[in-house]
Amino acid sequence: MPDRGFLRLPTRNRELALIALALLIATAGFAAVQLARAQEFASSPLIAAAFFAGAYLIAHLVVRITLPDADPYLLPITAVLTALGLIEIYRIDAKLARDQGLWIVLGLVLFVGVIVAFRDIRRLETLRYTCGAVAVVLLLATIVLGSEVNGARLWIRVAGLQIQPGEFAKILLVIFLAGYLRERREVLAAPARKVLGIGVPALRHSLPLLIIAGASLVLLVAMNDLGSSLLFYVIALAMLYIATGRLLFVGLGAGLFALGATAALQITPRVQTRIDGWLHPWADEQAQCCYQITQSIYTIADGGVLGAGFGRGVILNSGGGTIIPYAQTDFIYSVIANEMGLVGATAVILLYLLLAWRGFRIATTADDGFSKLLAAGLATAVAFQVFVIVGGVIRLLPLTGLTLPFVSYGGSSVTANFAIAGLLLCISQRANRERV
Amino acid sequence: MVDQALLLLRIGVLVLLYLFVWRIARTAIRDVRGSSESMILSPGHGFDPQPASIAPSKPATPGRLVVVESDILPIGAAVVLDQPEVLLGRDPHAAAVLDGDGFVSGRHAMVRLRGGSPTVSDLGSTNGTYVNGGRIAAETPLFEGDEVAVGSTRMIYEPGTTQ
Repeated sequence: MPDRGFLRLPTRNRELALIALALLIATAGFAAVQLARAQEFASSPLIAAAFFAGAYLIAHLVVRITLPDADPYLLPITAVLTALGLIEIYRIDAKLARDQGLWIVLGLVLFVGVIVAFRDIRRLETLRYTCGAVAVVLLLATIVLGSEVNGARLWIRVAGLQIQPGEFAKILLVIFLAGYLRERREVLAAPARKVLGIGVPALRHSLPLLIIAGASLVLLVAMNDLGSSLLFYVIALAMLYIATGRLLFVGLGAGLFALGATAALQITPRVQTRIDGWLHPWADEQAQCCYQITQSIYTIADGGVLGAGFGRGVILNSGGGTIIPYAQTDFIYSVIANEMGLVGATAVILLYLLLAWRGFRIATTADDGFSKLLAAGLATAVAFQVFVIVGGVIRLLPLTGLTLPFVSYGGSSVTANFAIAGLLLCISQRANRERV
Repeated sequence: MVDQALLLLRIGVLVLLYLFVWRIARTAIRDVRGSSESMILSPGHGFDPQPASIAPSKPATPGRLVVVESDILPIGAAVVLDQPEVLLGRDPHAAAVLDGDGFVSGRHAMVRLRGGSPTVSDLGSTNGTYVNGGRIAAETPLFEGDEVAVGSTRMIYEPGTTQ
């Protein structure tokens, strides 16, 4: 089909055509991993692909009915990303892939729930304080009830399942901030008095924002979680800038961050370890600071330009474990770079670029302040998370434990990201609808 | 045989990936609608009506609240915001007389023009005034496309033109 014809397709048919392309990628990938493993074709990859296709087609049909004018690119982009993640998780361990498949289906169920419940996104604005309160409760519950895994207190156990409440708290926080900043942006943008010739808003208006900045630091110390605290801080700062248009806040935020980072370096040994691993990974490759990151760099380098090929990379050790600890979650990007090479890894970055572009695009076309802030906040959350974790595994930034959205193994991460996709689609529906 | 098949699948996946990216990226060129708009909600970024402090110019045509849903007013009717204070309520002296709606108070809400940009405040009504679905507690500025709801009546704010 020539591209010109593709662009003339009605919106929802364009979405369907792109989902079909994503399914083709998924099928080819599953088949390749299976073939490399068993040395002969079998029907199991086709069955897996059929389940994947079924789940996405149902989601597409619900979007077709409830949000006919919504953005047609978001759902297919998530399809390609989840497919690539699933292929590489299947490559690591078939059992993990079954779990991940289940999370993707659950994620799509949540996606459908979100678009049915918040078809009119403004209903969410009335729930802004509820969302803020639930986010705080979730984070407190994590600190109090949380179990420590690999040094960070991020998970709570509910009915035998490990849940990472921070993933959901992140979304609720963005909803709260969008509602709150929409309400208060006038008083925040208009300076109450001048301090050293710079206009600053009255303390009572900026207090909740200072609380968020403080809370990020508490998260860092209490949960020992570098990634989430950085993510929360950047989301709040970006949304504050979008709400007020004042670069001063960004400058103040960066200053506070520098102070906080310096303090964190003194208080938490974990931060110091991460900085060491970032600056001097080769000093002691076997040491705790450096083992993961050096293994990641070897794995990426081994992939070369075109990759080792599906199922052909050196990912597992002789014991069947992964060479990089936590390859299926934090380091999935290194695995992709190994098996699909520079070309494939670049394609993944491009997919996230498209995802972020659609998100910010939805923010610019939305016609009310709440929708704009919500879309921009969610897009920032996803984009910054990708930047931090990919930057971490390629040693551009100090390593922080975050998941790669839609790709990493993990139920909380996958389902939370599908909720984000659902919210963005609801906003785009309202922005693109026929005006009354 | 297996090696050839794997090579084919690997190249196939990469080609399909870039085809996918290309298809979506191409729409960036076509996607011109609203390209001048900004997502930053601030004066000077093309989103707000003129801020009060800078240009207290009177609009050439006044802004309006257009009824999109109501049990008592016809759809498409408009409350013209041509006075400094526009009262909404059952009161017969109100600019928008919302008589016949049991959920509307006599003096329900007031729309004020503050240097050309309107704000809405609730006048202590029983059932509240809603902006974009949220009940307002204080005087709330209105922006293009905002929805004001009083009783069964929902209205969308359309700014006037400044000349």
